[in-house]
Amino acid sequence: MKFTYPADGSQLDCEVDIPTGMRTVVFGPNGAGKSTLLRLLAGTIGANPWEATYLPQTVYHFRGSAGWNLGLGLNAEQAARARHLADRLGVGHLMEATAVSGGERQRFALARTLARSEPWVLLDEPLAALDTQDRMNVARVIVEAIADRSAVIVTHDQDAAVILGQNMVVLIDGAVRQTGPVHDVFAQPADAAVAAAVGLANVLDGIVRVTEGPLCSVASGGSAIWGVGDHDLGDTVRVMFGAETVTMYAGTPPSVGSARNSFIGMVTEVRPVGRFVEVVLDAGIPIVALLTPGSLEALGLKEGVPATAVVKATAVRVVPS
Amino acid sequence: MEFLSGLLADAVRELFGFGAELRRILFLTLAVAGIATAIGVLVGVPLGTWLALTRHRLRRTIDVLINAGMGIPPVLAGLLILILLWNDGPLGALDLIFTPVAMVGAQALLAIPIAAGVTAGAIRGLGPAANEQLVALRLTSSRRGFVAAREALPGVIAAVAAAFGRVVSEVGAVLIVGGNIEGETQVLTTAIVQQARQARFDSALALGFVLLIIVALVNVALGRLRSV
Repeated sequence: MKFTYPADGSQLDCEVDIPTGMRTVVFGPNGAGKSTLLRLLAGTIGANPWEATYLPQTVYHFRGSAGWNLGLGLNAEQAARARHLADRLGVGHLMEATAVSGGERQRFALARTLARSEPWVLLDEPLAALDTQDRMNVARVIVEAIADRSAVIVTHDQDAAVILGQNMVVLIDGAVRQTGPVHDVFAQPADAAVAAAVGLANVLDGIVRVTEGPLCSVASGGSAIWGVGDHDLGDTVRVMFGAETVTMYAGTPPSVGSARNSFIGMVTEVRPVGRFVEVVLDAGIPIVALLTPGSLEALGLKEGVPATAVVKATAVRVVPS
Repeated sequence: MEFLSGLLADAVRELFGFGAELRRILFLTLAVAGIATAIGVLVGVPLGTWLALTRHRLRRTIDVLINAGMGIPPVLAGLLILILLWNDGPLGALDLIFTPVAMVGAQALLAIPIAAGVTAGAIRGLGPAANEQLVALRLTSSRRGFVAAREALPGVIAAVAAAFGRVVSEVGAVLIVGGNIEGETQVLTTAIVQQARQARFDSALALGFVLLIIVALVNVALGRLRSV
């Protein structure tokens, strides 16, 4: 699928592979062209819209009751499905209400969009305007309602991408930078820009010292890091891995199994990140690990405590710098 | 000063003493302007709605025509209808010259572009989010127009008020096609012209009051509707 918009390509000029029968997340920073891409698919700009049901980023509530809004454009069967979805989204009791909050509007619009029967489902930031605790429930309803249809879901939110996506397209400055299964894109970003966009915590520069099949060992700040990448000895490279791919041990573990990389050092910082915590370990090089508050407590990790960070080589991406 | 206060007193006395003649003028004024406004709204509101939502290639041209129509001088509209209805004209056989029907036709010609232009402006003013949602709903075009006009209801009511205000207060069109025949085609504005020409300022002023009250009442009523 090739997109150019407007004709001079000033906003969007890209080729995207969007598989059918899957939920594809289009991920990227604000202004990347995600919404423009979705509008082109939905046909609210440009020509040749897909046979799609579309939830715009800005939900618009028409004057009148929430129930009236819910039924707009739906046939009887779809309207019944929309009411059922509204119930499951926790707004079924608000049908008669004319003044509804932003989050409630979002749910009604979502129920209306998902109740339609088109083979493609296009959702622009479907979990925005929702409380954190409601997101999982809403996400579950979305996934079930899409069922085996094809979907394109735009988000700039990591959580939403992971929860809703099967396949992922990273869009930056109107260009596709990486495509693949969600987990792969998060675990192994193609380059530094993608890494920054998907929020990768560990990005280190170094020089290739050893190569071994698909792996190479990179010297960085006095440490050696094994990762995946085809490079020649002496190449200047960038090493990247997600904070969520790092396993932490208090002190020094007796064995780290098959993991190639273990870094022994001292915890220098513990900082909350949403519902998780990031632990920074100084092992000559800084290593950032993402943990749940529970594991942090169980390990007894805090500033000044010795610890070991372990990363599998296959989770480490080595790219040219 | 004495002239003015005396005039005012006479006008008020005239107002209450006009009787059958004033009632007839009042009825014809409301009937002609009301029907013309109704035609203007029935044609103009759907036209304006279509214009605001369409991507048709002629929309800019029609836009220009409607904008020009909003400013068309009433005498010109009257003249066009007069030519149409003239004995040798295309609709001459209908024998409608100097009848209330001709007056309705001329005023409808004034009301349509106003109703269309104000409606189109109101719907365009709904903003990009509303427009995108309207497209995303995948409604039939008539249903989409209905939802859009319903959403822009205050603007549509303003369109009705603007159309009525324009036709009830114009002189040129009704004078040309109606002929200002006493007891037959005389309306408030043309009656004012006639009274003023005969220097019967008290009567003219009294009629002016009536016209003012009508416009005020209609605007208050529509304003009420708007805030619902």
